[in-house]
Amino acid sequence: MKLRFDESVEEFRAEFLQWLDLNRPSDQEMADDPARSSGHSPGWARAWTRRMFEGGWLVPGWPPHLGGRNAAPIETLVYLEELNRSEVPRTTNPQGLGIVAPSLVDYGTAEQIDAYAMPLLRGELTACLGMSEPDAGSDLANLKTRALLDGDRFVINGQKVWTSGAGYADFCFLFCRTDPDAPKHRGISIVLLPLDTEGVTIRPLKEIVHPEYPDLSEVFLDDVIVPVSNLVGELNDGWKMAGGSLAHERSMVWLNSVMGVESAMAQLLEMAPEIMAPLNQREQVLAADDIVGFYVEAQCARALGYRGFARFVKGGTAPEQALMKMYASELRRDLGRVAAAWCGPASLAITDGRRSDLGLIEGYFATFGSTISAGSSEIQRNIIAERILNLPRG
Amino acid sequence: MDLELSDDQIDLRDNVRAVLARECPASVVRGVYEGTDDASALWKQMVELGWPALCVPEQFGGLGMGFVELGILAEELGRVSAPTPLLATVTQFAPLLVEVHRSAPSTEIGDLLADVVAGTRTGSLAFAENGRWSPGSINATASGEGDSLTVTGEKTAVLAGSEVDSFVVVARLPGSEQSHHLGAFLVKRADAEATTPPVIDPALGLADVRFDAAPATVLSAGDAGTEIARAAEQAVVAMALHTVGACRRIFEVTLEYAKVREQYDRVIGSFQALKHRFADMYLAVEKANAICYFAALAIAEDDARRSEASHVAKVSSGDCQRLLAEEGLQLHGGIGYTWENDLHFLLKRAKVGDVLCGSASWHRTRLAELLGLSAVVAS
Repeated sequence: MKLRFDESVEEFRAEFLQWLDLNRPSDQEMADDPARSSGHSPGWARAWTRRMFEGGWLVPGWPPHLGGRNAAPIETLVYLEELNRSEVPRTTNPQGLGIVAPSLVDYGTAEQIDAYAMPLLRGELTACLGMSEPDAGSDLANLKTRALLDGDRFVINGQKVWTSGAGYADFCFLFCRTDPDAPKHRGISIVLLPLDTEGVTIRPLKEIVHPEYPDLSEVFLDDVIVPVSNLVGELNDGWKMAGGSLAHERSMVWLNSVMGVESAMAQLLEMAPEIMAPLNQREQVLAADDIVGFYVEAQCARALGYRGFARFVKGGTAPEQALMKMYASELRRDLGRVAAAWCGPASLAITDGRRSDLGLIEGYFATFGSTISAGSSEIQRNIIAERILNLPRG
Repeated sequence: MDLELSDDQIDLRDNVRAVLARECPASVVRGVYEGTDDASALWKQMVELGWPALCVPEQFGGLGMGFVELGILAEELGRVSAPTPLLATVTQFAPLLVEVHRSAPSTEIGDLLADVVAGTRTGSLAFAENGRWSPGSINATASGEGDSLTVTGEKTAVLAGSEVDSFVVVARLPGSEQSHHLGAFLVKRADAEATTPPVIDPALGLADVRFDAAPATVLSAGDAGTEIARAAEQAVVAMALHTVGACRRIFEVTLEYAKVREQYDRVIGSFQALKHRFADMYLAVEKANAICYFAALAIAEDDARRSEASHVAKVSSGDCQRLLAEEGLQLHGGIGYTWENDLHFLLKRAKVGDVLCGSASWHRTRLAELLGLSAVVAS
């Protein structure tokens, strides 16, 4: 055990900070043209992705031709820490950079990497993930969107829902059923679907906060034709790759969510004097105790997340990964609820922005994006109980 | 930056755990509870294995291990709700001696620590008064000087107070009634009056100790507030880990039970209502464990965050025991409510661990001060 980072890691940090200072997008350009969804990459974001790619800072752990510099995991950790501290988003298309690109690098053909992964990494394309369906939410393997193999092409029919970023994304990493007779986990494949293909209809789903900027969509697929060369990996092997994709996601979520909690906690401490000013003394004591409670939890989340990281680096199993999704997302939600409660009538305001601030009820509701999506908290508890604690399925 | 135990630390943990499984089964704890065992054989074994010497600096003949290793020992002792004066001696008595020696070296302290290493001296920290683990609550006072120095005051819930040879008593320095300077004083238990009211966990030897002009030796030179605070941080984090150790064992035995207890023709652990509670218990134990070791590491490396981290650790262990004691008992059902089942030794240790060295509530108020939130209240 040790608290400090090695000298070489600190040098890596310093090098990144220096580069970041020279290359980061300005606050002004980010404010002038904010991302409208997780599939939307405004001009500044595309240029920023491109600069990170060329500088070897987009995915530091990857080799230079993929936008990295063969960084060690611990170096990637300080890179994420500093990006978070700088308040510059690593990407405005997290599922593209965090899930689709790594999955294509792992399982895609050379042509798919050239046509889809590299443009994602250069900031030229954005991607969305076509997973959930009306009858396949937590029970994802129940998905029914059918891709019928017809010579050298697939004919796809079905419907996706809750597809983040579909309204703006260029292509979809689409999970579909290619063998309806196989057991449900075995008949699933992944195909790459350009979203301007004929037969694709995208209907935005207005959300309960900021309905003017919907991120979620329904995606209807009617006789959509995709060449068989767009099949990712082996036919009917999609479920196994889904495990891979989700693992990519988990490893991102786990560090980023700790940092998200820490940022919110720092913001809450900053707000504390303002929150307390109008309160009477007894209320102030209660509010202070609430804030202390979250401070303790934020410290716990950091210690648990970083310990999981240490185990991951040493190559061991890290049950912390499974715990962190549920823990950090629920903690962030609770923090949002309590912060809003102490802000009184000021918490009722709705903002015109695309970002919901701490202390607002709309901000509290927005945190449910993390407790519901990518495996709800309930599914996480099942996973922890069944896969880590070995309680019987039943 | 590495928050995982090293291979050597994991070996130490496994080794200590294996020894305690063999030497301190629940039957020994039961013997102490029922007055048929004084755990002296266990203590003898601990001394033979060199456990009292583990974290005493090498200059006094100890093994010189760090505070993380001490935390491991404290956690494992909690896991078996161990009796014996080891916890008090190594996590309370010796740390204050070492702290005081660092700023005011003396052969006397060196000799005391050598005795600890040899297993010939046990000790505890007589700190809390009126149940308050707070320097500001200390009214015990030293008077006189040299050979005529005495300490007068009353200390509550002193760990192993009924069985240790010596106390380090934290008391106001002579003539310090107004300025509240604190010193560390050595008093033999034979010169104090230790009473042991019946308490829920009799295996910790908790005693209320009265010092009535008790002959004392001053260990510190002048105000020892800093040394006392640093030793108190160690006692707090060790007690937090001790508590979490008990909680982890509650978790394990409850989980084992849920995998074998059948109702409605299936094991109860297959019910989702219980699975989700196990997931929450698991998180509570893992996060408390992680933050406690972070605090232990901060102490081991003498990091600036050590004080704050010690409060956070104790709060988290308190939150952990609240959930684990409650769910552990509830999910065992009636069988866990019986004296014959061993579960209650752990439940009681977890609860006592929260009470000792400052409750979660007390540490929360300290954190509020450190975060500048009480200043807001005052204005």
